[in-house]
Amino acid sequence: MILGDILFDAFFAAAAGIGFGVISDPPLKSIPSIAILAAIGHATRFCLMTYGGIDIASASLVGALIIGLGSFLAGSIIRCPMTVLSIPALLPMVPGIFAYKTILSLIMFLSHSSNIEAGTPHLQMFWSNGLIAITTTFNLAVGAILPHFIFREKALSLTRHRHPKVH
Amino acid sequence: MKETELREIALFLSKYASTLWGSGVHTSRVIRNTKRIGEALNIEVKIAGFHKSLILSAIDKDTQVSTNVLEIIPHYAISFRINKNLSMLSWEAVDDQLSFEEIKKRFTYWVEKEKMHPMLVRILASFANASFCALFGGNWRSMVAVFLGTFIGMFIKQEMLHKKYNPFLTSVFCALMSSLVASTAVIYSATSEIALATSVLFLIPGVPLINGFIDIVEGHILTGSARLINAFLLILSIAIGLSFTIIFIKHILT
Repeated sequence: MILGDILFDAFFAAAAGIGFGVISDPPLKSIPSIAILAAIGHATRFCLMTYGGIDIASASLVGALIIGLGSFLAGSIIRCPMTVLSIPALLPMVPGIFAYKTILSLIMFLSHSSNIEAGTPHLQMFWSNGLIAITTTFNLAVGAILPHFIFREKALSLTRHRHPKVH
Repeated sequence: MKETELREIALFLSKYASTLWGSGVHTSRVIRNTKRIGEALNIEVKIAGFHKSLILSAIDKDTQVSTNVLEIIPHYAISFRINKNLSMLSWEAVDDQLSFEEIKKRFTYWVEKEKMHPMLVRILASFANASFCALFGGNWRSMVAVFLGTFIGMFIKQEMLHKKYNPFLTSVFCALMSSLVASTAVIYSATSEIALATSVLFLIPGVPLINGFIDIVEGHILTGSARLINAFLLILSIAIGLSFTIIFIKHILT
């Protein structure tokens, strides 16, 4: 059952990764790697959150780090810049529900503007959801670009032939 | 090297750099790639980059003659394909010692290569957003609503960008239309909030967001901030579009 849940999560993350990838006109060769990275990254976050009890922001950091490292490995195989693989793979982890709740609670707060007492719970929801959405997005970006700086020299030459001709 | 020849190469290099830039490549990669092609042609390249324009200085290494080009950065759709293939071209120029004519030929080939069919992009993006809805715990009815919402929103986005409408206005309108269509889930589904929340996520500007972070960490703070501000405004536009829908159906949601 647990395995089923994880596979369910990985499958839909892969589908989402592919779809978000094609919006940005990717090289066809990169699509399988994007799908695999999205699946591994999202499934890792899912496991950490569901079975490890870790919060969404920290779990996203770990997921994004794995995507970042994976994009370096996959990029060196198919000769592709890291960002081409990591950005679409990251998108399924965007904290959409928290962002939505932030907007919703802002609107609800504003609609109670004549009665501040009644609006206060919405204000609290606005800040807590907003903070979670922003921190998670920030962590996603940091996690994905950290490997970029760890492998600096190698990351710069991923698109080079692996056996350059000697003249 | 003759001065006219140097000028021609400088004009090509600035076109190369602005094409990369306009297709959503982060600053340090644009500069490195352009410099690399310059090296292959025995030219030292220096670039000052801004968000909408770049100044390129090309110096002939033998004669020390130099020329400058100010290039306006065009606004293309984001293209990972151009990012990859033009980066590859810069390495090929060095490793295979390509001639200037050959580099120009390959550049034109990659830039003019046909893109994926917009209809296929729409369908795949809609599947992606529907899958996203499933990840958040939406049921299959919500997934259908999100699929339809994304399909229509994506169509409007492609048409509006093709007709060169303002990108922020495009985001507001697409978010509004996608979420309105997805909000029909309210009628027949229990997870309508998830449908509403996921319907606009295909508009998230992931590329400028990540590129902005990379630029800033690498010291290109000016262009990085410009990218982040751009991304932030696009996210704000999505929020505005979505909030119109929420205001319309607020009484049903609560």
